[in-house]
Amino acid sequence: MKIFKTIIAALLVVCALFMIYTSYTAKDSLPGLLERMDPQNLAETDSQMQRAKKRVTDGLMEDNKEKTLRGLERYLNGFADKLVIDTQVQYELFAYQNGPSMIAGGLLLLVAGIVLILSAYCKIAQARRLGIHVLLITVLFVGVYILENTVGANSMLMMVLKKGAIYALVAVAMNLLNGFTGLFSLGQAGFMLIGAYVYAIFSIETGNRAQVYQYYAGGLIQFSLPTLVSIALAGLAAAFFAYLIGLPVLRLKSDYLAIATLGFAEIIRAVFQYDGLGPITNGSNLLRKFPVFETVLFPFAVAGVCILLIALMIHSTYGRAFKAIRDDEIAAEAMGINLYHHKQMSFVISSFFAGVGGALLAMYQTTVQAKAFTAAMTYEILLIVVIGGMGSISGSILASFLFVAASEWWLRFLDNATVIGNFKVPLLRSGFRMVVFSVVIMAVVLFYRQGIMGDKEFSLSKLRDRFTRGKGGAGRV
Amino acid sequence: MSEPVLDLRHVTMQFGGVVAVDNLSMHINREEIVALIGPNGAGKTTAFNCITGVYTPTNGQVYYEGRLIVSNQPQGKMKQLYAGTHKEFPKEIVVNTPDKITKLGVARTFQNIRLFKTQTVFENVLIATHLHKTSNLLTATLRLNHKEERQMREHALNMLEAVGLIDVKDELATSLPYGKQRRLEIARALATNPRLLLLDEPAAGMNPQETEALGQFIVGIQKRFELTIFLIEHHMDLVMDISDRIYVIDFGRLIATGVPEEIQDNPDVITAYLGVYEE
Ligand SMILES: Nc1ncnc2c1ncn2[C@@H]1O[C@H](COP(=O)(O)OP(=O)(O)OP(=O)(O)O)[C@@H](O)[C@H]1O
Ligand SMILES: [Mg+2]
Repeated sequence: MKIFKTIIAALLVVCALFMIYTSYTAKDSLPGLLERMDPQNLAETDSQMQRAKKRVTDGLMEDNKEKTLRGLERYLNGFADKLVIDTQVQYELFAYQNGPSMIAGGLLLLVAGIVLILSAYCKIAQARRLGIHVLLITVLFVGVYILENTVGANSMLMMVLKKGAIYALVAVAMNLLNGFTGLFSLGQAGFMLIGAYVYAIFSIETGNRAQVYQYYAGGLIQFSLPTLVSIALAGLAAAFFAYLIGLPVLRLKSDYLAIATLGFAEIIRAVFQYDGLGPITNGSNLLRKFPVFETVLFPFAVAGVCILLIALMIHSTYGRAFKAIRDDEIAAEAMGINLYHHKQMSFVISSFFAGVGGALLAMYQTTVQAKAFTAAMTYEILLIVVIGGMGSISGSILASFLFVAASEWWLRFLDNATVIGNFKVPLLRSGFRMVVFSVVIMAVVLFYRQGIMGDKEFSLSKLRDRFTRGKGGAGRV
Repeated sequence: MSEPVLDLRHVTMQFGGVVAVDNLSMHINREEIVALIGPNGAGKTTAFNCITGVYTPTNGQVYYEGRLIVSNQPQGKMKQLYAGTHKEFPKEIVVNTPDKITKLGVARTFQNIRLFKTQTVFENVLIATHLHKTSNLLTATLRLNHKEERQMREHALNMLEAVGLIDVKDELATSLPYGKQRRLEIARALATNPRLLLLDEPAAGMNPQETEALGQFIVGIQKRFELTIFLIEHHMDLVMDISDRIYVIDFGRLIATGVPEEIQDNPDVITAYLGVYEE
């Protein structure tokens, strides 16, 4: 078994290195490749072919990958009958055309090989489990990256993935408070607004400020912070406001938090549009020209790290205290858990990550306006939490992607008036999507009250247990 | 003799017009088992709540190990409404939240079982080790506290061992039979490392055999953990069997106190329980 694993791992590693090597050297080997495709040098005599070939070499010379690729495609399609393309050539062409994806794929195989070796030789169960998780995360990121390179960065799928990742973070943050600590807050949109604004305000490049703040003489702030620093500031600002709200409200026994946060979200939306704050918030005008997503990997990475931190916290002794408060405040207090401190902690952390989510949403939308952060946004996120299951992180993540995909993509056709032959399909018109959407959600809430996951988590080992049991795992004692 | 572990002075708790506990003064010495008995609605649970900080008494003081943990006098509207028999008011105001009092070393169980419903037996006890943590949110999240975490888990397992629930540790707390849920509550209280343990009707709903076993169990943990135990109980056999001393209250007032033999024959106590005293 060990030898078998080692051999496979070695094969994987060799494959990976080969893939990475060929994609790296594909550019340099392209001229040679062109020669080999045309062994009789037909291009010499065929002027059309020569021109097509020259476009490729020109692109190479100028180091313009897009031009080279376009030229290459035309050259290959136009003279397919004259060119000799064997498997070796095919592979090298593929490596050139899909360079970044190949490197990513090679990386994946490399990680897979290392994890396999780990599982064969490492005696520490924790390290092996960690290895498998690293592998899964690599699969996810490489998969998303290759998708982005093949379907295009602006496709619907990529939009859904980006927004889904952001909503996943915001929903998990809300779940921390509502699902794990049992505090009902309705301020998510308000904290996201603060995050979005703080991010935008601090990250707009200095050169663009005059243009963005055209009605306010270029604005008050005349410096610009790096993207990640601005995102962290966005979280901190939201956390600070949460702390101020929690100071009086979380000391009360009854649950006034929902009312206080809802009111806060409404007020903050008006405040940010207030003309007097214009030099900072740009009044009721858009904020724009700040750094936005260059790749879908960015929101995935930021949201992923944040969700990982939340998950680690929930499984620490503090998370256990939060759950105790949710289950029974009086008993939790009798166990020495200070209700106010722990509620405040949960509230501030939840708001911090809502602020980070708001910053990501600003990057996604490329512009920020306070008007957009309405209570409806909070309800959307609350719905995601309920659909995914109160007290389930994986449920919130799953529900976020499903929700965003359904509302932005799968149900879009309902908004378009459709004519089949002479028959105009009834009901399909602008706005019908929201009707269907609401009905679906009502159905879920009525008949599926626990949500998709209840308060359980998705777990590999449980999945494996189920599979082995399904295959008559009883014999495997 | 050393100072008492628990010392109540003129503790009075008034809800609106109802004086649930009226001028209760009592004390418990180190490693004693003391029972508080009285008919339904006498104010026993309310007395516990005054000691543990769930309620702030309207008037009176509580000392724990010589330290003033609760002290209050009628305030606001209660100044006019006050109907307690003790009319002298302490000057200082001392209020502690329940978690603070638990941290000082006073743990309790609840009459109407209050387990963490979504948690397993083990997790219920593990939560009770949170109060002595030295890690902060960051170190706990980043798993820099794994040594402490391991100690917490070991401690919780030891407590489950001590109450004999180790073999059901991974079951949902609420799926246990009644008697075991009560033991789990005790394990959870023990996990906070108390020196004074308050038990509110630990034998409620148990049959005579279970009750007798519980009595031995309570004496056992008292010895093993060198505890002082304050016990509310309606099962007289159990009370007479294990208590060193007994306090009896009726309508919030102390009507008798003494060793079990004295209480058994006290006419006031029999009247309180049976309504009339027949010779
Ligand atoms: N929070 C409260 N508000 C108003 N009245 C209360 C409150 N808590 C207790 N009481 C009243 O105080 C009195 C004493 O109640 P308590 O629960 O202390 O009795 P008990 O001796 O524990 O009785 P039991 O043996 O039934 O448990 C009762 O009349 C009860 O109605
Ligand atoms: Mg009671």
